[in-house]
Amino acid sequence: MKPLVRGALVGAAAAALVTFPYWSAPWASRFATTLIRDALILAIFALSLDLLVGRAGMPSLGHAAFFGAGAYAAGIASQRLGTDQLPVTLGAAALVAAVLALVIGILVVRSEGIFFLMLTLALAQIVFAIAFQWTAVTGGSNGLAGVGRPTLAGFDFSAPDAMYALVAITFVATALVVWGVVRSPYGLALIGVRENERRMRALGYDTARLRLSAFVLAGTIAGIAGALSAYSTRFVSAQDAGLGNSVRAFVTVLVGGAGTLGGPVVGSALVSLIERIVPSLLPPDLRISEAILGLVFIAFVLFARQGMVGLGTHAWLRVRRR
Amino acid sequence: MIEIRELRCAFGGVVALDGVSLALGEGERRAVIGPNGAGKTTLINTLAGEIQPTGGAVRLAGQDITRLRAWQRARLGLAHVYQRTELFSPLSARENVALAVAARRGPYRIFGAPPRAESAEADAMLARVGLAGREAVAVRALSHGERRQLELAVALAQRPRVLLLDEPTAGMSPLETARITELVAGLDRTLTILIVEHDMDVVFRLADRVTVLHEGRVIADGTAADVRGDMRVHDVYLGKAVSVA
Repeated sequence: MKPLVRGALVGAAAAALVTFPYWSAPWASRFATTLIRDALILAIFALSLDLLVGRAGMPSLGHAAFFGAGAYAAGIASQRLGTDQLPVTLGAAALVAAVLALVIGILVVRSEGIFFLMLTLALAQIVFAIAFQWTAVTGGSNGLAGVGRPTLAGFDFSAPDAMYALVAITFVATALVVWGVVRSPYGLALIGVRENERRMRALGYDTARLRLSAFVLAGTIAGIAGALSAYSTRFVSAQDAGLGNSVRAFVTVLVGGAGTLGGPVVGSALVSLIERIVPSLLPPDLRISEAILGLVFIAFVLFARQGMVGLGTHAWLRVRRR
Repeated sequence: MIEIRELRCAFGGVVALDGVSLALGEGERRAVIGPNGAGKTTLINTLAGEIQPTGGAVRLAGQDITRLRAWQRARLGLAHVYQRTELFSPLSARENVALAVAARRGPYRIFGAPPRAESAEADAMLARVGLAGREAVAVRALSHGERRQLELAVALAQRPRVLLLDEPTAGMSPLETARITELVAGLDRTLTILIVEHDMDVVFRLADRVTVLHEGRVIADGTAADVRGDMRVHDVYLGKAVSVA
């Protein structure tokens, strides 16, 4: 009976999240919906990165390459093919991100730790440079403007509330997929690779291929997050594939709590609040929200390595012991 | 079952294995002994595929595996218990064994919880090595002796044809050593076992035949009784060990 109760609770929470703009209309502003929408996109992006950082032990500092690839693929597909069909543009985003992750993955999966970090960073910077300079395709420094919002089976996602619902549904689906993956034999194998790759090889696992598969899976999900970002803002910037965006996802994972399902989600809520709410509380010429984010990150690295989820678990255990 | 021909292994100028030849029939239990630095662990690591030899060949059940990687050899039925414990420390004992069980069925089952049969098989293996009741305990909370038992459970869960044991009783109390020894002695007689061990009581309890390595060469090879009587063996190794015992 217990899993059934839990399933019902998750279902109710998911339904409440997806319908947020409708039931919050009397008291919440439009801004709240936009804020949550962007936080959910960041959460999808961070959930995908956590498969690498928190599960497989692959600290990628180039994950924005796949976010950017997905965003460009969705934008370019809709403009060049003149279609707003969701399966076409979202499919293009997932496919392009997956292929890019396969190519970069083959180059990086045999390195570990700091070398893996630097290699992913360097290769993602190449992707950024291509996005920034290949003006004919990507719009270069001007970015790609006027990305169309998608339709699916006659349903149009261009209204703000419908766009929000698309993001929320994708978020719920992604969270369920990641949940299913991490508890699977495959998810356990990724943790095995993180903890003791040598022993995994002795057990008969082709660990290089396991790491590559995780890299491609995470890259594909990041590409989907990128496409949602392109739809939402109707714009793709080279910065979407840049180092700043990679760092943002990394900080989100670590502040929330790596290796947990809730961590990337609560981390994205905190990061979004700091990015969007803090500037409105400060004088307009004081642009220090990135510095605040940096300080928060340092504080977590120094004092709470397990992130917000770790702090919460710790507090809960202390309360229960009394 | 496993055949080693003229195996050579050199690290820079240091020759760890200098033309070692060995053959183990199916179900044979062979101990490799020798003083420190004789090349015993290098031999095991070369067989497991963790070190590439500089010369010679290794065959497993007639198949040349000299150039195969460690994970490919494991798939062919080679299991390796390391000298130093190599486990997955934040995971539970059950999960450690489950990884070995799941390896046989392929790692790309990417969705949904593992089938119940696999954790039942893991639990059965833990009970067999004397870890019943400890299934949910994380490796980092297990004692040294329990970790060695778990190492054995993980290796057996691979359902190997050849088991490579690199000092399975290292650092164990006499009681734990006796338990592990009886456990290995009671394994299926079709399982081929190559064991490197310093404890002579364990060697003579388990091994059908004994090979003595010295400076990377085989200097004696025979039944346990033969090797006991071989004077050269006494000189390089046994004399010291026997007098201590």
